Amino acid sequence: MSIVKKSGKMLNATNKLKNEMGRHFLAIEQAYRDGKPTAWATAGTPVEFLYTMDVQPMLPENSATISAALKKSQNFIEIAEDEGYSYDLCSYFKTNVGAVLSQAEMSVGGTRKPTFMLSSDVICDTHVNWFQVQAERFNVPHFTIDVPHVVSNTTNRQREYFKRYIIEQLWELLDFITEVTGHEYNPEKGKEVALNSFEMGKIWQDVFELRKNIPCPVSTRDTFGGLFPLFTMTGLRSPIKLYKRMYKEAKERVDNGIGALEQEDFRLMFEGIPFWYNLKFFSNLERWNAIIVYEPYVYAFTKYTNLNVTKEMVLNKPVETMAELVLSFWYIYDLKTRVEMFKETVKDWKIDGVILHDNLSCRPNACGMYDLKRKLMEEADIPSLVITSDMNDPRKMNETKVLNQIESFIEILRKRKKR
Amino acid sequence: MINIIKIAVFCVETPEIEEIILAGDMTPIRLFGNPTMGIDKANEHVPPNHCVWARNILQQAIEGFKDDFQGIITSHGCDCTNREFDIWLECIDLPFLFFLNVPLKRNEIALKFFIDDMKELISQLEEKFNINITSEKIGKAIKKMNHIRDLLREISEYRVKMILKGSEFHALVKGVQQMDKDKALNMLETKLKQLKTNKPHMDKNLKKVLLTGSVIDDTEFIRFLENLGFQIIIDDLCIGTKYFWDNVDETEDPINALAKYHLNKPIYSTKFPSYKRFETLKFLAKKYNVDGVINIAQKFCEPILYSHPYFSKKFKELEIPYLFVEMEYNRESYKQLATRFEAFAEII
Repeated sequence: MSIVKKSGKMLNATNKLKNEMGRHFLAIEQAYRDGKPTAWATAGTPVEFLYTMDVQPMLPENSATISAALKKSQNFIEIAEDEGYSYDLCSYFKTNVGAVLSQAEMSVGGTRKPTFMLSSDVICDTHVNWFQVQAERFNVPHFTIDVPHVVSNTTNRQREYFKRYIIEQLWELLDFITEVTGHEYNPEKGKEVALNSFEMGKIWQDVFELRKNIPCPVSTRDTFGGLFPLFTMTGLRSPIKLYKRMYKEAKERVDNGIGALEQEDFRLMFEGIPFWYNLKFFSNLERWNAIIVYEPYVYAFTKYTNLNVTKEMVLNKPVETMAELVLSFWYIYDLKTRVEMFKETVKDWKIDGVILHDNLSCRPNACGMYDLKRKLMEEADIPSLVITSDMNDPRKMNETKVLNQIESFIEILRKRKKR
Repeated sequence: MINIIKIAVFCVETPEIEEIILAGDMTPIRLFGNPTMGIDKANEHVPPNHCVWARNILQQAIEGFKDDFQGIITSHGCDCTNREFDIWLECIDLPFLFFLNVPLKRNEIALKFFIDDMKELISQLEEKFNINITSEKIGKAIKKMNHIRDLLREISEYRVKMILKGSEFHALVKGVQQMDKDKALNMLETKLKQLKTNKPHMDKNLKKVLLTGSVIDDTEFIRFLENLGFQIIIDDLCIGTKYFWDNVDETEDPINALAKYHLNKPIYSTKFPSYKRFETLKFLAKKYNVDGVINIAQKFCEPILYSHPYFSKKFKELEIPYLFVEMEYNRESYKQLATRFEAFAEII
């Protein structure tokens, strides 16, 4: 088979993302100039409350991805390893430790000393450990939200007191922020921020809805490239405009039967965090006219994936609703729900095969992948491929091996299509 | 003959479940790894860079336990053990599987939540096995377990007096967690009587160390350390002092007392703020005037790996010799580490 590299079409709106990122970093600089409180936050924490209480959030995970994109992460990781952190620990964490130790600029993934830190174990224990390490280093207060672990046989009765537990902690968090910053929680502003957050999540979901179309109008270039505001700017107005532009452009493509790929033969799902140091890797798929049409990781951060959560709930009870959302977060689904959601998604998005990233840095996400692969085959007749690599540590990526695996996988899909 | 229901306890940090199981007239039996077995079946479910110890126990479960368990209770530990519970549900065919959400934090809100979850456990046990777990019965179980804790605390001191080998004590604590508690009481009482008549007889040149780290459940490993010139006089392990650190309050409502007991115990590496573990280690190192501290991480044990650089720095400040070793969960690997332990024995 002759392999000709093609170039998929990126949405024009996605190019504007740089402006949004610039806006975010400017806001951080401005906060330091104005003496405004700042906070580090881990993914999955309610950044909305920080914006509501006039605290400027910074997400070191996103900064770590910038380091990786600029090919700086390996150096930072090795600095952290020299400090005693194991080769086997999370590469986001080590990128951040290295960046802080080398006093890296924000433009290359550095982060400044915050007023306080906010973490949660909703996604992983690493988040809590990470901020414990750094809060000790900077000598700043650290608040963590404990989210009970939902398993496949958790009952509705249990979910009720799980939710109560989170709600109490969220109120405690608001008190903590007031204590540290002197800023009070303003319910009116809370509503405004919650509404923006809801709207942003929903538009992103609308973009995903458009991806159900054949050909798919949006590729990973736009989704992996465009998700930054979902983490850092939830609750602000400006990214909503960007996502609306993305939606409009994608809709035009759908209406005109235009896809992100010139020719679309295989529709794939990619589970897990991508390799930020090698995002162009995904363009390799275009050699085989294959496109990723759904990424659970990206979709998860639209936050409002629980269909029971309505706009009214978000507006009227932002704290209580946040607890519900945290408990029903896509990225941390129990295995049973995860399998069901994958089966539904595969059907709705007309997916031919699933690529599962066994991310050496993200054990919670990788755990259960082998069973997920088996179940998808047995129960939905969908083949999956597990590839092993790392999200931020290029030393753990064997590109040739992974490409060979994908090529073989595509051949399997091709044969299945001919059946 | 009465058929007593056996419930397996897969937990690294909540032995207090034992009281609840006992109160249901059932026998709690803690699950331990087996470092002599392969884990090929577990590797079909869990990636190879996940906790070796947890995969080892999953392997046993898939192959079938020697004991005829009617259920398994696991508790919130690390990311690996937490996420693997769903795989257990897929692979294991037992009537009862429960995940106890031991809170990450230690405050009033966390206590209230923990009590709720313990009550849920009780309610599900009652429902499944058609039993009544009353406060009175839990109270009696607490008394029994407190007696065991008293005895273990007293026996533990014979390690310090160089009368009881660290490995013998380790085997004893492990045995208690796997046997009928009345038998355990008899065994401990007999052992204590015997120890009281013994004089210090161990080599005075042995290096007296404090052992900490991941779950260390292979007594052979402790023997291995002894053969290299160490005596474990104290530890902060779950098969060690954390099993009998203090007693549960017998005057309070039993469920509240169990929950409070857990949250007031020295903190585990999986909980927040885990750095507080250092305070316990410092306290033990000073109290027992140890020659050094050995911190063992089972391969890929994240909670221990995250705290190691902090501990290393803090022990350096205190000028207490500290050795950190990451190891595989199989006996062949012990030998490869001998040089590092020997060098440490030389230094201290």
